[in-house]
Amino acid sequence: METNGNEGGHRFSQKSIAQLDEIITHYPERRAAMLPALWIAQREYDGYLPPEALQEVADRLERPLSEVQAVASFYTMYNFRKRGRHHLEVCTCLSCAVRGAYEVMHKLEKELGISAGEVTVDGEFSIAEVECLDFCGAATVVQVGDQYFGNVTAENVDMLLDQLRNSDSHTPVELADALVKIMTPGGSEAAPA
Amino acid sequence: MADNDLVNVKIDGIAVQVPKGTPAIEAAKKAGVDIPFFCYHPKLSMEAGANCRMCLVEVATPRKGPDGTISMAKMPKPQTACSLPVSEGMEIETQTEQVIADRKAILEFLLINHPLDCPICDRGGECPLQNNTIFYGPQNSRFIEEKRHFPKAYPLSKHVVFDRERCIHCARCTRFTDDISGDHQLAFLKRGADMYIDTFNQSKMVSKFSGNVIEICPVGALLSRDYRFKARPWDILSQKSICTQCSNGCNIKLDYRVGRLQRVNARLNEAVNEEWTCDKGKFGMDYVSTDQRLVTPLIRRDGALQPATWSEAMDLVVQRLKEAGKSVGAIGGARCTNEDNYILQKFFRNVLKSNNLDHRLGTYLPPAQSGLHARLGYHTMGNAIADFERMKTIFVIGSDLVNEQPILFLRVRKAWRFKGGRIIAANPAATQISEFADPEVTYRAGAEVALLNGIIKILAERNPSAADLPGYGDFIKSLAGWSIEKAAEESGVSAERIRRIADAIFSGETAFIAGKAVTEHPDASAVIEAICNLAVLSGNAANVNIPVTQCNAQGAMDMGLLPDSAPGYTPVEEPGLNTRQMLEAAADSNLKALWLVGADPVAHYTDADLAKRALGGDTFVIASELFLTPSAELADVVLPVASVAEKDGTYTNCERRVQRIFKAFELSPDVHPDWFVFADASGRLEQPLPYFSARDILREINVTVPLYADCSPQKLGNEGIRWQYPSAKSDLQLVPVEYRPLAKVTVAE
Ligand code: SF4
Ligand code: SF4
Ligand code: FES
Ligand code: FES
Repeated sequence: METNGNEGGHRFSQKSIAQLDEIITHYPERRAAMLPALWIAQREYDGYLPPEALQEVADRLERPLSEVQAVASFYTMYNFRKRGRHHLEVCTCLSCAVRGAYEVMHKLEKELGISAGEVTVDGEFSIAEVECLDFCGAATVVQVGDQYFGNVTAENVDMLLDQLRNSDSHTPVELADALVKIMTPGGSEAAPA
Repeated sequence: MADNDLVNVKIDGIAVQVPKGTPAIEAAKKAGVDIPFFCYHPKLSMEAGANCRMCLVEVATPRKGPDGTISMAKMPKPQTACSLPVSEGMEIETQTEQVIADRKAILEFLLINHPLDCPICDRGGECPLQNNTIFYGPQNSRFIEEKRHFPKAYPLSKHVVFDRERCIHCARCTRFTDDISGDHQLAFLKRGADMYIDTFNQSKMVSKFSGNVIEICPVGALLSRDYRFKARPWDILSQKSICTQCSNGCNIKLDYRVGRLQRVNARLNEAVNEEWTCDKGKFGMDYVSTDQRLVTPLIRRDGALQPATWSEAMDLVVQRLKEAGKSVGAIGGARCTNEDNYILQKFFRNVLKSNNLDHRLGTYLPPAQSGLHARLGYHTMGNAIADFERMKTIFVIGSDLVNEQPILFLRVRKAWRFKGGRIIAANPAATQISEFADPEVTYRAGAEVALLNGIIKILAERNPSAADLPGYGDFIKSLAGWSIEKAAEESGVSAERIRRIADAIFSGETAFIAGKAVTEHPDASAVIEAICNLAVLSGNAANVNIPVTQCNAQGAMDMGLLPDSAPGYTPVEEPGLNTRQMLEAAADSNLKALWLVGADPVAHYTDADLAKRALGGDTFVIASELFLTPSAELADVVLPVASVAEKDGTYTNCERRVQRIFKAFELSPDVHPDWFVFADASGRLEQPLPYFSARDILREINVTVPLYADCSPQKLGNEGIRWQYPSAKSDLQLVPVEYRPLAKVTVAE
């Protein structure tokens, strides 16, 4: 069995380990690699940071668990609960609200059978209500991963859902991956097995 | 400190000289100026400090103008005095309008979310937040919105409960677990108004030192579950005492009310516990006020222990002692005061004419004059607790230090955390020291000598001058069959790690601390000889430490509770029986009377079966006890005696520091200090030992035991006195040690 040299329930792939090793060289001490390590963990653990992910970061950076959780919880872009494969961030700030954001929101909630802040049972979608996304000219705006969808209405939101259903992307994981790539200009790849 | 390291500063116009870099808040203390604070704590690092902003002051420093004139330049914003290192010529103002307004504003801000439920807060009456608000705060608040709400009693551990609403985010507790205890249990989660303290993933707080966070929390957020709602600070009285839970001798306060202990707080002693205690001490001392305490003497009648009067009990004791003649012995004393022990041995030696005295219950029973003393000239610890701070390297061997010697553990960690010391450890299993020991190696149980031989081999090669040491020839010959590889194979520690240990010892002054895995080793003497060899070889003969573990075991040795030495380690002519020999004699009906003095061999002696036979047979057994222990249950007479809270006296901690305890309260008229019981018995034998108080006895000890000459009640003061051996040992030597793998060793006696 492939173990990736991972004991104790660790999940980082060889590629992740190589990337973390590269990132660690950017700093004077291991502890400073905490944020990138958390992004790698968020990618490896299906887009969020369960306690095991924090444990793995703590082990790999040789830092106390409490410190890892303290750092991670300071930031809002690390997720502590599982998100949908498509995480829909619906802007309900002024311009969007005026242009029917709440109708969009209600339609989504009805269509998916969940409320804002929840994940569908099949893990495909989650919804969040967010503040201004700075794209007010195209209100109502919905952000999915690093993509913006403008002029969304209660009428056309079905199209958006269909489009997403047919894509095989996993937005929280892809977002984490995109960030890790930026942080590893050395382009670390998996060491040969 | 050289003069040029001092700087001149002015606080509110008062000039003081302090070392360069002193925090302004400390310089102000020296000038007698108060600066209010919450988060500042002199023992915690400033890395995550300066959180509360309570200590704001205005600061000006001298600047040289372009024309060479010097003028004072005021910093544009107020500064936090706790994190501001002073520099030459600095002028600090603490009473300006600006500072007064800032303090008001900070307090108003801190109180925005504070529940102000002082009437039901354990901290009320001794709360820095209350006090600072009274002296520096605004009279009222402009905040009319809803305060933050959290559960009021969130249990963090068995001992600590957290009221999240009261927390002012000072980070003292989180810094304590990072800087001092090293268990990293508490941290801030989230940020801003949502920030709160918690453990990782809401797990239980696991710490040997959790009680300290209760004491350093400047508000009533971290509280003791035992003490919660039990008393108000103004209702309790406090007495100076010493913790009896181990040999470290932490200075504590017994806070009591109507004759019952309510809580234990630490008392500052920089030489011993600084201002910390471990949880065993802080929460374990409540044994003095449990309902199981014995309050009347018991006599065995018709096979059962039954209440009796003090006179009935003592008359019976005396009658049986008379019949027994010299066939008597006493085991115990490791938990009694020096005064108790001195009278105990005086009674046995001078009145009953017996040297059958021993305080030891463990496996390691070297006669008092051999072992460590024969080799290095001291019996237990070469170093004082505070000495560890100056060590370049500390080698902990065979000790689960955090459990065996909690306060020593904190000092060792401090050496690493704040003083640049290197810690290495070798244990049969990983311990908490692995957090900072580099490396902590695990060796095959029993293979200490093999591991030590490997290290010794390396050091012998590096230190050619060792050849001049007496005994070198035989010693080096005895190591001929040893190589690092063989040491690695026998001990299970890799050659590379053995080398790293040797390097660390070679790098500078090294202290050695050995623990239970060594003293309870079947071949303990050999291991100790090997440690002595390593110390002598590396030039650290003064730095071996094999601390005792029980509260006053050190004092019991000093006071002559040993079959072969009288007080002050004076050899006796006819040595008596040791613990094992007394128990064997009793089991074979060869001892007429045995007095257990706060000792419970059935529970604590290595051979419980022997203990049961000894106490359950024909020998008349007297037990001086606090509780009806398994051993006391087998006794013929049980005498209730005073605990640490009910008597005066002195204890000697593991580093030989003699420290005073003071009586807090009375338990019952029939409960006496141990010394009083022996004096009473002696009087009934018409050989009075006329003492009125523990102080009288200490004064006699000052005269009769030269080692204790300086330890008079007047001189002991608040720090105690560490007694010294008259001279250091001059004839150091190396001694061949035979390595016997564990299976081949049978318990030696
Ligand atoms: S719990 Fe107490 S010590 Fe800890 S941060 Fe809050 S106020 Fe400070
Ligand atoms: S370290 Fe020892 S003396 Fe100090 S509080 Fe703990 S048990 Fe008591
Ligand atoms: S208000 Fe929705 S994007 Fe600005
Ligand atoms: S005491 Fe200085 S900031 Fe808290």
